[in-house]
Amino acid sequence: MIRQPIKKRTAILLGVASICLLVMVYGWLSWRQHRANPKDTTIPNLSQFVEGWKRITTTDAAGDVWILEDAAATYGRLALGLLTGVGLAVLFGMAMGCFAKAEAFCLPPLGFLAKIPPTAMLAVYFVMVGTEMKMYVAMIALGIFPTLAQAIYQAARNDVSDHALYKAYTLGASHLEVICCVVFRQILPRILESVRLQIGPAMVFLIAAEWAVADVGFGYRLRIQSRLLNMNVVYSYLIILGTTGLLMDWLLSFTRRKLCPWFGE
Amino acid sequence: MKALSVQHVSHAFGDHRVLHDVNLDVAAGQVVALVGPSGCGKSTLLRAILGTHPPNQGTILADGQPVRGPTRNVGIVYQHYSLYDFLTAQKNVAFGPMLDETSILYRTFCLLKWRAKRRRHLEEAVCLLEKVGLGEAIDQYPSQMSGGMRQRVAIAQALIMKPKVLLLDEPFGALDEATREELQRMLLDLYQENVQAKREGRQPPHTIVLVTHELNEAIYVADRVIGLSQFHSGGEQGATIVYDKAAPVFDTSQPKDLAALVQQREELRRIVFDPDRLQDRDEYVTFWKDEAGKMSEEGNHQ
Ligand SMILES: Nc1ncnc2c1ncn2[C@@H]1O[C@H](COP(=O)(O)OP(=O)(O)OP(=O)(O)O)[C@@H](O)[C@H]1O
Ligand SMILES: [Mg+2]
Repeated sequence: MIRQPIKKRTAILLGVASICLLVMVYGWLSWRQHRANPKDTTIPNLSQFVEGWKRITTTDAAGDVWILEDAAATYGRLALGLLTGVGLAVLFGMAMGCFAKAEAFCLPPLGFLAKIPPTAMLAVYFVMVGTEMKMYVAMIALGIFPTLAQAIYQAARNDVSDHALYKAYTLGASHLEVICCVVFRQILPRILESVRLQIGPAMVFLIAAEWAVADVGFGYRLRIQSRLLNMNVVYSYLIILGTTGLLMDWLLSFTRRKLCPWFGE
Repeated sequence: MKALSVQHVSHAFGDHRVLHDVNLDVAAGQVVALVGPSGCGKSTLLRAILGTHPPNQGTILADGQPVRGPTRNVGIVYQHYSLYDFLTAQKNVAFGPMLDETSILYRTFCLLKWRAKRRRHLEEAVCLLEKVGLGEAIDQYPSQMSGGMRQRVAIAQALIMKPKVLLLDEPFGALDEATREELQRMLLDLYQENVQAKREGRQPPHTIVLVTHELNEAIYVADRVIGLSQFHSGGEQGATIVYDKAAPVFDTSQPKDLAALVQQREELRRIVFDPDRLQDRDEYVTFWKDEAGKMSEEGNHQ
């Protein structure tokens, strides 16, 4: 039968098995490659990985630790960009969901902006704000803003019934209280969920921007090291990116469960 | 004191005339049931009283003040969508006092005072939940409650505001028969509080307008039944009040006396629901005339 539930232990075992399989297939590919060419760096083996890790985590000629400076640069940009983008989107989305005038005013340009690929906008940001922090923030914030604002607007518009609003007024709420204590509270889990889904795209825009113009950060390091075919460094960076992505995902789910226990899974 | 006064209210949606010259006075402490054929405009009238959808013509006074929008003077319980999903039963009930008595600034900057106030609100909420028979379910979210429980919480949520008028729009319409009867008895208990207050010379606490499509419920719960209907001479203008009479008052401690209901129910069926019988619209609007003697007596008494 389909959708037949399985035991928790079986589920865990299957999960571990799939990861083991992945590692084994990689190991076999690497072994085959190194048998043909012992100097190969495209599919690094374990000792090459160890060597790569050492290079990432110890000071280089210029006195920098790659992983530290790259992580600080990339995640600093990501945090600032996300914060700005989410802040803007909440502001505009809520305004559009609550006020017909704001809706009529903002919806057409937003729909249009959402259709321009943010990475294509890089050219514009590059010219307008240079290559400093501002550019990355603009890239991420404006990249996720249209989609996020639209999602929040939809939620504020459709997930809060008129009756819930009228009821709030009969309970003596002011307009601001209706917005903050009813509409915002009601759609908070949807906002967190939308933000969670936008972290992926935000990362794409950031790496693309760093790839093109940065002199520090994950995107920059990946570009340089892949040119040199130092795949041990590249793969290590990818693993770090994947792990932190998972972590952020989990953190936002956790926040949602804590803040909105009523929302269910 | 009139808790509610509806004066010459007419309403049309485009060419579709729904309400025509509706006049209605409700004294504080009355429990009024509003019945009428489906689509005659009962909800439209209630929305006008609530202030969310003002009528095309006429004025409505709640507690002597013209209604210009939904305010804390008029409470509402809807058939669906009656609670805030993100609050537990207790917090749903305490939500009103919080919004009514404090502002966002107060809650942010006067933390200590606000905390003391909050504690009092939550205690008050528990009292009200016990009154509607939900003492143990205070920490449940609406999604965890049955329909009957939700409506009880919704009624407690409205009662805690002590509104001048409480509007109920088919509050039990989606409930099963047994739950329905329990909630009807709960409303009767509220009526008993009115009786008690009047006896002690206090202002009766609950003034209720209940829309229902169950005639038995209307007669059982209310002390006054109003029929809104388009079936009267001049009905093409829209629906108006064609029936307004006192209803027998029941006591929850007594078994339900069905015989007493039957006569009035048949009368209502004839006057309000029968499209073939078109009488003069004021013929059965006799509440204030019937009650005139009694009312002036009460007036002297106060
Ligand atoms: N927003 C609207 N636009 C147009 N017509 C409407 C609107 N709301 C209600 N009506 C019409 O007004 C009439 C009265 O509607 P209303 O909901 O007040 O009836 P009701 O007596 O509450 O009916 P029910 O017993 O089914 O709840 C109906 O014929 C309905 O079609
Ligand atoms: Mg209705």
